[in-house]
Amino acid sequence: MLPENITAILARNEYWTDKAASEPYEAGWAREAVIFVRALKQPVGKQPLARVEISPDGMHWIAEGSEFALPGEKDGLAVARISHFGNWLRVAADFEPGAQSAVLVTLHLKA
Amino acid sequence: MTIRENKALAEAMRIALQRADPRLSRFDPLSRIISHDEFSTGHCGWSQLVGNYEDDLDTMLPGYAQHTSAMLSTLGHWDAGSHGGMGSSYALKVATRPRKGAQNVVIKRHTFRERGRIRFETYFTFKPEANELKLSETDVRSVGFLFDLQTGDRDEGGERVMPHLRFLNALDGEHLQKWQFKRRTTKFKPIGDTDKTLSHYHLSPEDWEDLPGGDQRLCYNEIPTKVNWTYLRFDFDLEQMKALAFQCNDRHFDVSGFESIRIPAMKNLWCMLNFCLFAETDADKRAFLYVDSVCVSGDF
Repeated sequence: MLPENITAILARNEYWTDKAASEPYEAGWAREAVIFVRALKQPVGKQPLARVEISPDGMHWIAEGSEFALPGEKDGLAVARISHFGNWLRVAADFEPGAQSAVLVTLHLKA
Repeated sequence: MTIRENKALAEAMRIALQRADPRLSRFDPLSRIISHDEFSTGHCGWSQLVGNYEDDLDTMLPGYAQHTSAMLSTLGHWDAGSHGGMGSSYALKVATRPRKGAQNVVIKRHTFRERGRIRFETYFTFKPEANELKLSETDVRSVGFLFDLQTGDRDEGGERVMPHLRFLNALDGEHLQKWQFKRRTTKFKPIGDTDKTLSHYHLSPEDWEDLPGGDQRLCYNEIPTKVNWTYLRFDFDLEQMKALAFQCNDRHFDVSGFESIRIPAMKNLWCMLNFCLFAETDADKRAFLYVDSVCVSGDF
């Protein structure tokens, strides 16, 4: 049996502003995760650092420690590689007033 | 031994073999198993129902834009840890966003090779996100399923047929607990500028009708983190494109009043055999549909 691997779409064409986060995703079966964020349109304003967050229950969140700059240009990509995350994963970012990005956030998991 | 006796013996042997297999014994599949999904072996082809679009994702209808990817879950709860499934740690999880009326849909796409009886069986459960220390029994609006079917390309009077059934658990906080079906859909809307792509949101809140005799009180354990698995079976005839039987746990429902959404065939969906499962929240909190296993079988 080949090891499981899947791609999940955490956010598709979501206009992130203010305090933004992807929906919680359970991936306890996976040993590693790669998260890509692509800007689907030209981002507006200063693009913040995004952070990976983990959770004991999908409701209370804490920074995992990985941070990455969100893309500054349309079709720009940002990436984070994660391991030892338990079960719950999400990506969060705090935008300055007036700043936004239409994001495609994809999660690539491998057992 | 006559041919009839031979057939009866073969059928008895088939059932005996199936019942000796703990993975299949909880189902009553017809003679051919088209797919048997247990989610400790992955997503088994159940993927996010993505809406149609052209040139720009902004053209996707909002009903579809809200959908997210299903997960493999151990039903991990903050107070009791992982609940697990019936035969393994894992179940498929379909989660809505935390906004009243939000929906999410997971889909499995096939085509059919024989017209005739098919059977869809599943063990499922549902709960709201356990973010309040309350029973929360009216926070999930509905869970349900639909088929998306189309006749073959040589069939006369080609049709796309979409049987829908949902368990309306609650609406605007009222605990209703009844099965509903749908025979009408929203108008098709062109997507983009080329007239090549159309879209319609058939899970819009309007036009659900009560299944006659369709009241049912399902097991809803006393706190949001206790779940019990529920059996469901729906039989449909791909020849006549009509419902044949519907069972949920110990209840067998009369489907003589059931109707499907029926629309003219589309130019590219011949012999389509799609299955969807969905969840809908009635509160500003996530609703979760968990699926332990699914068995789709056919009489051919």
